[in-house]
Amino acid sequence: MKTYKYLFLLIGLSIIGCSNLEEEPVGLLAPEGFFKSTKDIQTAVNGAYGHLTHENWWGRKGSLPIMLRSDMVAIGDPNTAQRRRDHDTFEVADDNGMITESWPRSYQVIAAANQAIAGAASVNVADDIKNKITAQAYFIRAFTYFQLVRLYGDIPYLDKPVTNAEEAGSISKTATADVYTNIIADLVFAKTWLPDVQPVRSMPSKASAQSYLALVYLTMGQFDNANFNKAYLEAKEVIQNEGKYQLALEPDFQNLFNADKVDASKEPLFVLDYNAFGDGDYGRDFQPALTGIRNDERNSTGGGWSVAVPTLAVYNSWNNLDYRKAVSFDDTMLYRGAVVPYTDFLGKHPSIVARPHIAKYTRHIGLSLDGNGRKSSINYAMMRYAEVLLIAAEALNETSPGSSEANGYVNRVRARARSGNGSSFPADVSGLSQSDFRTMVLEDRKWEFAFEFIRWFDITRRKMGDAPYNVFGAGGLEQRPNFNSARDYLLPIPGDELQRNPNLMPNNSGY
Amino acid sequence: MSQNNSIKKISTCLFLLASLFAFSQQKVTGKVTDGNSKFGLPTVTIQVKGTSNGTTSDFDGNYTITVSNADAILVFSYLGYASQEVKINKRSIINISLAENENLLNEIVVVGYGSVKKSDITGAVSSVKSEELNAFPVLDAAQALQGRAAGVSVQSNNGGEPGTPISVKIRGNTSIGASSSALIVVDGFVGANMPQANDIESLEVLKDASATAIYGSRGSNGVILVTTKKGKKGRLSVELNSTYSAQTTSERLDLLNADQFGDYQTAINPAYVRGTANTDWQDLIYKTGSTANHQLSFSGGTDKVNFYASGTYFDQDGVVLNSGFNRTSFLSNIDAQITDKLKLGFNAFGSRSEKQGISTQADTGGRGSGDVVSIAFRFSPDLGLFNANGSNSVDFLRDGIDNPVAVAKESIDETKTDNYRANFYANYDLLENLTFKTTFGFSTINETRGTYKPSTLELTAGQQGGIGAIANARMTNVLSENYLTYTKDLDKSKLTLLAGYSYQKNTTERSSAGAQGFTSDSFSYYNLGGGATPLPPASSLTETEILSQFGRLNYDYNDKYLLTLTARRDGASNFAANEKYAFFPSGAFGWKVSNEEFIKNIEQISNLKLRVSYGVTGNPSISPYQSLASFNNIYAAVGGQTVNAVVPNQSANPTLKWESSYQSNFGIDLGLFNSKISLSLDYYNIDTKDVILGDTGQPEYFGFLNNQSLKNIGEINNKGLEISLSTKNISTDNFSWKTDFNWSKNRNKMVTLIGGEDVFLNAAPGHFLRDETHLLREGEAVGVFWGYDYQGVYQGGALPTGTGTLTANAAPGDELFTDIDGDGKITSSDDRKIIGDPNQDWTMGITNTFTYKNIDLNIFFQGAYGGDIMSLTHLELANGNSNSTTEVLNAWTPSNTNTNVPSAKVRANDISSRFVYDGSYIRLKNIALGYTLPSDITKKLGMDNVRLSVSGQNLLTFTDYPGLDPEVSYKASGSQNSNVNQGFDYGNYPNIQSVSFSLNLKF
Repeated sequence: MKTYKYLFLLIGLSIIGCSNLEEEPVGLLAPEGFFKSTKDIQTAVNGAYGHLTHENWWGRKGSLPIMLRSDMVAIGDPNTAQRRRDHDTFEVADDNGMITESWPRSYQVIAAANQAIAGAASVNVADDIKNKITAQAYFIRAFTYFQLVRLYGDIPYLDKPVTNAEEAGSISKTATADVYTNIIADLVFAKTWLPDVQPVRSMPSKASAQSYLALVYLTMGQFDNANFNKAYLEAKEVIQNEGKYQLALEPDFQNLFNADKVDASKEPLFVLDYNAFGDGDYGRDFQPALTGIRNDERNSTGGGWSVAVPTLAVYNSWNNLDYRKAVSFDDTMLYRGAVVPYTDFLGKHPSIVARPHIAKYTRHIGLSLDGNGRKSSINYAMMRYAEVLLIAAEALNETSPGSSEANGYVNRVRARARSGNGSSFPADVSGLSQSDFRTMVLEDRKWEFAFEFIRWFDITRRKMGDAPYNVFGAGGLEQRPNFNSARDYLLPIPGDELQRNPNLMPNNSGY
Repeated sequence: MSQNNSIKKISTCLFLLASLFAFSQQKVTGKVTDGNSKFGLPTVTIQVKGTSNGTTSDFDGNYTITVSNADAILVFSYLGYASQEVKINKRSIINISLAENENLLNEIVVVGYGSVKKSDITGAVSSVKSEELNAFPVLDAAQALQGRAAGVSVQSNNGGEPGTPISVKIRGNTSIGASSSALIVVDGFVGANMPQANDIESLEVLKDASATAIYGSRGSNGVILVTTKKGKKGRLSVELNSTYSAQTTSERLDLLNADQFGDYQTAINPAYVRGTANTDWQDLIYKTGSTANHQLSFSGGTDKVNFYASGTYFDQDGVVLNSGFNRTSFLSNIDAQITDKLKLGFNAFGSRSEKQGISTQADTGGRGSGDVVSIAFRFSPDLGLFNANGSNSVDFLRDGIDNPVAVAKESIDETKTDNYRANFYANYDLLENLTFKTTFGFSTINETRGTYKPSTLELTAGQQGGIGAIANARMTNVLSENYLTYTKDLDKSKLTLLAGYSYQKNTTERSSAGAQGFTSDSFSYYNLGGGATPLPPASSLTETEILSQFGRLNYDYNDKYLLTLTARRDGASNFAANEKYAFFPSGAFGWKVSNEEFIKNIEQISNLKLRVSYGVTGNPSISPYQSLASFNNIYAAVGGQTVNAVVPNQSANPTLKWESSYQSNFGIDLGLFNSKISLSLDYYNIDTKDVILGDTGQPEYFGFLNNQSLKNIGEINNKGLEISLSTKNISTDNFSWKTDFNWSKNRNKMVTLIGGEDVFLNAAPGHFLRDETHLLREGEAVGVFWGYDYQGVYQGGALPTGTGTLTANAAPGDELFTDIDGDGKITSSDDRKIIGDPNQDWTMGITNTFTYKNIDLNIFFQGAYGGDIMSLTHLELANGNSNSTTEVLNAWTPSNTNTNVPSAKVRANDISSRFVYDGSYIRLKNIALGYTLPSDITKKLGMDNVRLSVSGQNLLTFTDYPGLDPEVSYKASGSQNSNVNQGFDYGNYPNIQSVSFSLNLKF
């Protein structure tokens, strides 16, 4: 019997462990069965918002090139990363690090939106309830493709989650015109279903969708003049409903760039809202660091990096009476307790440059979690109501020049600028020719939205690198002899992406 | 577990046991003693030749064995003693004395799931003995492997940091995306942590596929088999090992003093305002460290039971301020012969350690970050410790860094680890020649890491008001293994069969939390609730399982021809549904030429054996859940409020499977002049296929968060030669001298990459702002350096043909680089090339041991030739943003043109061959002088053995490398590309030099 005892001992030890080796991840999210309620749709939409605030997208990689390529912002610190300098000087190769990191993040935003839209289909709730949520995903998808199509032209376009890798991996590029068609369809859906007003401006409202429609049509004006009328009509409808949509120009221009005050403003139409919190590179913005003055003691941030600094021409060509100039620029720094004018910046840090620096993202950034003002509390307005007014003016001038209505839109924006410091500049406009008005409104956009990531898109849609504007030529704010209008209005699609799917070849012209 | 399965298993066992009671029996008893001391020898293996019928001697050396054939031969074998074969000749009492092993060939070598005589080994196996492991004090026994076994490379993950993990690589890098570290098996427990060096009886390194295939999917990185000490029969033996070491950094960088620094900065920036202090920051962060290691062990046993128990206390006070490590551990091995047939054993290990860490090997050294070591190099020497108001000084030369002394002293980084392992086994002789062994083991590691950065570090945490965090991890590992061993002696041959199955499950739970904005720094990390802002918490659970069947056949014909066939079928949960199982076969053939008649007459040749093997092994070391489609949580805020957010993480990957290594090995073992000279040569070729790489073949426009899902694409080849030579140069009564030499060469090559495309990798810390430091390219070695090719200093005038400078308006004194594409400009896209290979051409170790009467001297040199080092430290110290090395004193000036150092104004930022150095070195790793008290004195003192020794480690190093130490390790572990980040030097904890005193007492 003893033997049996040992036998059981042996068996008892030996039979432990058998498994079908299937993985059952706990605490990880499986796609199957995730979408059950509208709350789950919102959670997926929030994923898209999260991606937008990542360092790879708005935080730095996706936003900095838009600044640097324009004629308004140049490289300050000459020793900063090559991948940044190349955008300023138009020497971008298809492996440029800013592109190779922002490109995937753009598509991660889109994939998150696609996932929300696809998931919503399986949520068993009436359309008029769930579409209000899902419409945010349509907006974000349109918003992101709009950014992509303006930067890259023809692009791969996906409007549902990838389930068949082989099929999705061999698609060809979608033509620019078709991408715009899809963007418009998404924005129309968003306009139809989104509420007039959202509790916060980091969620798109009906007004956001409609304003973006106006901007999309304005941008498409370069392809067909008829689009200007559509742009005007959309913008006009927003303006007519400004009360219902709770839209207004912020009386003090400075408040738009004050993290503690902008939440109450009625001017932003859609914002990326940073709140001095985040997880790694999520929720981490770098504009205060990139644009701030090295060793400036004025903010508690410890100064910035002097990376993105306008040329002196930007500062010098801007009328000193313009209140917006004072809001947009810092031309002094505080160093060892003393105020130092920009002409004496040299020597205050090895990497500093003796030029006035951008102030919009350093002066009132609220709480910031990381050094140099990174992870700030800034709300970055993707569009402000002032732009809707200027869109209406610009578009109307293209279809019916010389209208007092168009003058009126511009003058509202100008009046707000004047009210900041009570100066006489900029004076109201009237009686301009169509061509002068066009030039004027583009100039007004340049100053009103200075350093707000808008100028580059004005340059591309109006082909301002060419005559008559020649913004990178001898009389421009930045001389960029390397600028090649056959190439540089578009970025190259990352070269490795073309290798992953050769059907996307060839790359954009000149790359 | 399904009931069906259980029933199946039980019935299988019953079937195997069925014929248990069906044979006739005869008892043989006796006593085994030591040939010298005449003490009884415990745990001697007594086996009936050609069968698996065996037993072991008890505490006093007594044994009883039941045999079925009265003419059988008994084989007595014992580790460290020469085996003896004795014919029973119908005797019932056989007493025998065993002689300590003179001939290494009769040593028993542990192999997976068994052991064989060294002379019968067909694969490539290196043994490292206890005395080699304990020749000098080490934190981790793996450290002691360096230079001891050919083909084995040992990498500290962070220089000489107290408590840093040590990784061991065997025969080169066989992987990129999966681990390349060898599998460690301790007393049969797969994947255990290395025990204390003093507790190790022997350590076997299994290198070729024939030896490792029994570990199947986990064998391709090689296997280290560790056997801990067991109790020996005889009276209670008590042993005390005490070591005390004093330690210093092995080297310091020559940096500028305050005056020189002021001149240097003024050259860059004429407006530079000099500070008033003159501080040597290296001097302030380094100190003399110490190590104390005390081990007390007890061993012995009674008739049926023997035991070994030890306790060890290790305490290291690091050579950098505020760094240290201490560990208390115990080990206990108990074996009990319950009946003639049944033997049970229990093995328990436990340790508790505390690591006081400091920041080293920084990922980024931008504002307020950076590790203590590299910021001590960078920090301006003209600044003092404190500002006028008493706060810690801060250097604002570039991004702003807190001073290294404050960072070292005031930040808290504590890791507390409990590590327990228990392993139980039962061994049952089912038949005369059939044994069943079952083991069940469990281990758990519980770790808590607490960090706190106080608000007094202005840039690190001043603005945040202090940052605290706690991370917890609990890792458990359950292992069940069961196997049958069958031995059969045929006419002229001997057959051993092994078959078994095993199941292993690893579970890891993690959680972390943090906060910032504390009212007081005195909370440390113990009051996270007291922080104004919580940081995002995290938790996770991962589980992996491996289920295996394995078998081995050993066939020995006439003691001349040896055949080993091994196979293992593994199933691993981490792989895709259809790729969970794989089969790993191997075969080896050995020919003992020296046992052939035509050689036997040649007196000079005492041993000659040829070995050839081929086999397949795998590598499953990837994270779980990589093959499943998943969503992931990310951080998002709406209207300033953090919200739940999910995004698509990865697509399903239905084809993810093992990396497989196809390895062939050719070996020769030669013994000359009665084994006075023994030589082993091994040549190997390893083709690793289906290498797991982050797949860059999936378009990024798919939009998955993880757009580098793992795929089996790529092939790596390693081939190499290993030589081990042992010579007994002089052997007289009073004096002996022997030499152990090993040399190995490995050549590694990237054979295939996805689409033949180069893969660029980045090891530079974030603030370097450089994207590409090294690469994988087909036809090149793994991880070659990538950058500009430095051509010296531009002297003005026309640029030398084929060169250029980074700036359009070159000034005399600038860096000149090769203009590869000849366009007159140096551009990152066209003018970079491979500028170095971190893979060493060869490595060697040579140990000379001299004994004269009771004095012994051990001299151990270790070296490596041909590995390049990319010093990110030197690059950073040449960029003008910090202090610099004294090299800059020889910078180009109009009056000092004959120099290779550019003008002090040049701010070097780019990866170039200027900072690639030859990392060849030879170092006196250890020199030890020992004295053993003569035995008559020892006896008078009532002791068995008293030994004193003094030793020195890393006392001499011969190298041209200008950095601190040629054994560099930046990002060689933990990070994403740790396998292929070799040869980078930046911010390591410094390697140490030490002088040690040891005492060994045996009662």
